[in-house]
Amino acid sequence: MTPKVTIRGLSKRFGALEALRDINLEAGRGAFISVVGPSGCGKTTFLRIVAGLEPASSGEVLIDGRPVRGPGGDRGFVFQSDNLLPWRTVLANAMIGPEVAGRSGPQERRRTLDLLKLVGLEGFEGYFPRQLSGGMRQRVNLARALAIDPEILLMDEPFSSLDAQTREIMQTELMRIWEQGRKTVLFVTHQIDEAVFLSDRVLVLARRPGRLQESVEIALPRPRALAIKRTPEFVRYVDHIWRLIEDDVRASVIEEKV
Amino acid sequence: MTSFVQAVRRNYLAGTLSVLGGLLIWELLSRYLVANALFLAAPSQVFAAIVALARSGELWRHVGISALEFALGYVIASILGILLGLGMASSERIKQIAQPWISGLYATPTIALAPLFILWFGIGIWSKVLVVILLVLFPVTINTEAGLRTTSERLTEMLRSFGASPRQIFFKVSLPSALPFILAGLKLGIGRGLIAVVVAELFGSRAGLGRLISQSADAFNMPELFAGVVVLAVAGILMTAGFTWLEKTLVPWTKD
Repeated sequence: MTPKVTIRGLSKRFGALEALRDINLEAGRGAFISVVGPSGCGKTTFLRIVAGLEPASSGEVLIDGRPVRGPGGDRGFVFQSDNLLPWRTVLANAMIGPEVAGRSGPQERRRTLDLLKLVGLEGFEGYFPRQLSGGMRQRVNLARALAIDPEILLMDEPFSSLDAQTREIMQTELMRIWEQGRKTVLFVTHQIDEAVFLSDRVLVLARRPGRLQESVEIALPRPRALAIKRTPEFVRYVDHIWRLIEDDVRASVIEEKV
Repeated sequence: MTSFVQAVRRNYLAGTLSVLGGLLIWELLSRYLVANALFLAAPSQVFAAIVALARSGELWRHVGISALEFALGYVIASILGILLGLGMASSERIKQIAQPWISGLYATPTIALAPLFILWFGIGIWSKVLVVILLVLFPVTINTEAGLRTTSERLTEMLRSFGASPRQIFFKVSLPSALPFILAGLKLGIGRGLIAVVVAELFGSRAGLGRLISQSADAFNMPELFAGVVVLAVAGILMTAGFTWLEKTLVPWTKD
């Protein structure tokens, strides 16, 4: 069986800067895969290439064995900043994907309403983004990506702007939603514990150039509750990944200060 | 209820008192201190002049002509300005060609060209319409272009991730996000357009509020001169208030 997502020899250069070097990945249908690494390791660029928002310099991204040539309805992108349209209501924002594809009939509308309920926004359909909290805006962001019923969810640090408590709530919500729909997920984050908690596998990237350092299988049982974060197994995974990227993170912190 | 009264008191009381006080001082000044009908008219006399002009029908003749000149010039300038702004935002070449003219003419007090236009196009309404167009066009163009150019990269990308075409991106993101800028440009145009009408009429016209003001000045008829100014002020205030309401209705997300 062909994997859902296959990435072969993916590299990306921005002029003299080598952002990504020879990334390879096979993700089965319904897998939850996280990408972690220090800032500047190219993890967002990686996701943008898979989304078709950015061309690769070499190598290829295959979905169901077919190469990606641009954005498509098979992939839903959840952005780091929610990117909601301020003049649209929650429902109209969530409907933008189907609308762009020319499907905004009552059936799509009903489906989107169901999704808003799924992400916990029932009763807020008519609100405008400025009336919502950061956590609620990210829920709309997620519902908007789900509204095109994509087979793959691409998530770019979606919870990074939220406070710690809200972030943990959103992680469990995402787990619940993922377990219901079993989409293939590529999840970029800089939070190691978030990656371990959510994923079947964590890809650890190194920086300059961004390259795959290790692929860590997370063999924790599902469904996972937040309490699992305090178990020794969980902490071992986090420690292991942290040690892999620690030097790189220190280097990037120093660089940012300069 | 009490909080409503308090809010009204807090927001409007000082302003209302200030206006009433100003009118009172003006009234007293012109009755007892200046007391010369050739220099100043009291608010009560101005009000009486407005009523008399309205009764005789003369006021409406002047208002009608000025309103027509303003409306024609304003609508033409708005359409041209928005189109020009769209053109400049969508094509680097158009922008390069138009930019020096727009920057130059926007900074120039083009109202000074009014006598020239009257020489060229006569004292009818079209010379005034042209002056209005010249004054309103640039703020509308500049704001339209700026609004479209500052469309958030992130919002455009979001739409692109759903496979949107450039046309869909324009109508679903660029245009709505430029709308507050376009409205602000149109609002700026109201004041400039009114100045254009009146000043152009001062230089030569058969009728209009500018004409009313200049002929009243020639005849030292202070109440009618002030009547013309007051009517203009009211028109400006009403139109600007109407626009503020329009902004609140059309682009509520820019408030608060």
